[in-house]
Amino acid sequence: MERLRPWLVPAAALLFAVILPVIDRTLPSALSIAGLMPGLMVFAIVALGLNLVTGFTGLLHLGVAAFMAIGAYTYAIATSPVYPFQIGPWPGVFLAIVVTAASGLALGLPAVRLRGDYLAIVTLGFGEFVQDTLRNLDPVTKGTMGINPVPPLISGHGLSTYYLYLGLLVLAILASRNLRDSRLGRAWRAIRADELAARSMGIGVARLKLAAMAAGAALCGLGGAAWSALQGSSVEPGSYDFQLSIGVLCAVIVGGLGSLPGVVVGVLLMFGLNQIVLVKLSNAFGLTGANAAVWAQPTNWKYLVFGLALVLMMRFRPEGLWPEEKSP
Amino acid sequence: MTAVLEVQDVTLRFGGLTAIDGVSFQVAQGQILAVIGPNGAGKTSLFNTITGIYPPTHGRVLIGGREIARSLTRRTVWGWIAAGVGTGVVASLGVNLADLWTHGINDLFAPPRPFPWFQALAAVFQGLAPTVWTATPFLLGTVAGIAGAASLWHSSRRGPDLVARAGVGRTFQNIRLFRSASCLDNVLVGMHPRLTSRWIDALFRLRRHRVDTAEGTAKARELLALVGLEDQAHRPAGELPYGHQRRLEIARALALDPTLLLLDEPAAGMNPTEGRELTALIRRIRDRGTTCLLIEHDMAVVMEVSDRIVVLHYGRRIAEGTPAEIRADPRVIEAYLGRDGIPSRVQTATVAPGVRHG
Repeated sequence: MERLRPWLVPAAALLFAVILPVIDRTLPSALSIAGLMPGLMVFAIVALGLNLVTGFTGLLHLGVAAFMAIGAYTYAIATSPVYPFQIGPWPGVFLAIVVTAASGLALGLPAVRLRGDYLAIVTLGFGEFVQDTLRNLDPVTKGTMGINPVPPLISGHGLSTYYLYLGLLVLAILASRNLRDSRLGRAWRAIRADELAARSMGIGVARLKLAAMAAGAALCGLGGAAWSALQGSSVEPGSYDFQLSIGVLCAVIVGGLGSLPGVVVGVLLMFGLNQIVLVKLSNAFGLTGANAAVWAQPTNWKYLVFGLALVLMMRFRPEGLWPEEKSP
Repeated sequence: MTAVLEVQDVTLRFGGLTAIDGVSFQVAQGQILAVIGPNGAGKTSLFNTITGIYPPTHGRVLIGGREIARSLTRRTVWGWIAAGVGTGVVASLGVNLADLWTHGINDLFAPPRPFPWFQALAAVFQGLAPTVWTATPFLLGTVAGIAGAASLWHSSRRGPDLVARAGVGRTFQNIRLFRSASCLDNVLVGMHPRLTSRWIDALFRLRRHRVDTAEGTAKARELLALVGLEDQAHRPAGELPYGHQRRLEIARALALDPTLLLLDEPAAGMNPTEGRELTALIRRIRDRGTTCLLIEHDMAVVMEVSDRIVVLHYGRRIAEGTPAEIRADPRVIEAYLGRDGIPSRVQTATVAPGVRHG
């Protein structure tokens, strides 16, 4: 029993996630949420990617949206029927992961020797740079229109998509856990705790920080590709903005930096509030579009909620809702 | 026989301050050598120079007879050139991407006609023909790439990680454990260069990862037992009492299988009993074949444990010898107590410039 205890909560959560679509069928459509869950799972994958860099290795990264965008556009260009490549969904996902990991390396090589705030500024600049490039490289990216159509990962709607995205999220969690509980993950956490001590143990800090940047970018790329497949479009460049990067960072901090269940909980709360609860509220009260003043629409409250959540967390529970275990 | 460590005429300056001034000494295999000296004598600076945290302003540190720095091989240079050319190609492609894509893909793609791949390739090559707009970014990119790669190489040429990999373990004066990690994990981090699993092994839990974990954990437990912390394996390091933390740091440094172990004030804050236990531990470590270099203020420990002693004073080596010789050396007594009980600095200031008195 003692040995099973750490598995209890994840198993219960997974079971709940598996039967959620069934429960959902019995609810009135105003309350059903299963259709909106795959989007949340995508952001959970991106947040897990950020967690590798910021949570495990302690590098403040403000440009995850850029990697998500690179993943989404790589997938879109490689699979969309408007281009001749059309390599199919799964090779497209693989390519997106490889390309984003490579761009993570390319960003990391010059930046990895910077410390703290300076690295954060570089990643922030990278985010803006990618967004502007995608917007202005018209012949390749179709500018502000985005590339569409883009094929989904799996044909059919609803259930199959839900379970596929759940599967991808579980894989991302397992990958994060395997990396965390390994020689590499221990070295990452050593760098986070005390860089000089880590170097004095023979850990090549620059190389391992690069590895973290590449691994984090790869997960964000997977998220981006899955997002693009879910939306049926690369989505316009402006949606991969600083707000998104900050939103993912908020979710990771609220959930608990470095804690895998924490990251998932954080995304469910922050993005769930934003994409599900506030939307449902708006619809329920008919407070949408021209029916209501701008300030009265719950969908417009998201930054208010984000900000409030951050302030309250920092005041009452700075280590996050589900903090990292002290000793694995 | 070459010395495990040879410090040759090392000088270390920070701006106008000379922390170490022309210090030389050797440590032979299996020896325990202590570096002593009053506060501010440059002992910790010397350790930081040996471990590669500060490059010496002048002089050399040889470990096992060689200086620890990546050497500039032909392969390194080819690597820079490859990185440069790669950057150049990417830059050239990047600058012309819009045109290349338009001519190579958008103009040729007209379904249901099958896409003419060869024609597309030809268009791309044609687009990359040398003109101002392809050659300039290529050249600039190449130069920038080579310069970047060379500067990255240069900045990682020396450093504490390389010295550690050469077999030098160390502890810190102001304990630097990974406080939230367990004792076992601390030792496993110290074992990092000796383990071989890579990211792909970890990601898919391949055999090498499992073997690494099992063997590493077993060895880490042995080391914890050596320092007497075997029953604390899963406790976070930060929760241990102070004396235990010092011993855990030694276990972590030993995880490297070091040929040379640097201990920076291992007995600081210990009572006499703990001091005696520490002496026994250092002896045991030496008997396992590890040469030890320690900085220590606790004279009972120093006199008890060391084979030789080097005395630093204001960055200079003022004496070297066996404990008995050092105890009797008038220069050492003066450095610690001052001449006739007057602090030495005051004395030099008033006596040495004989001109004023003469």
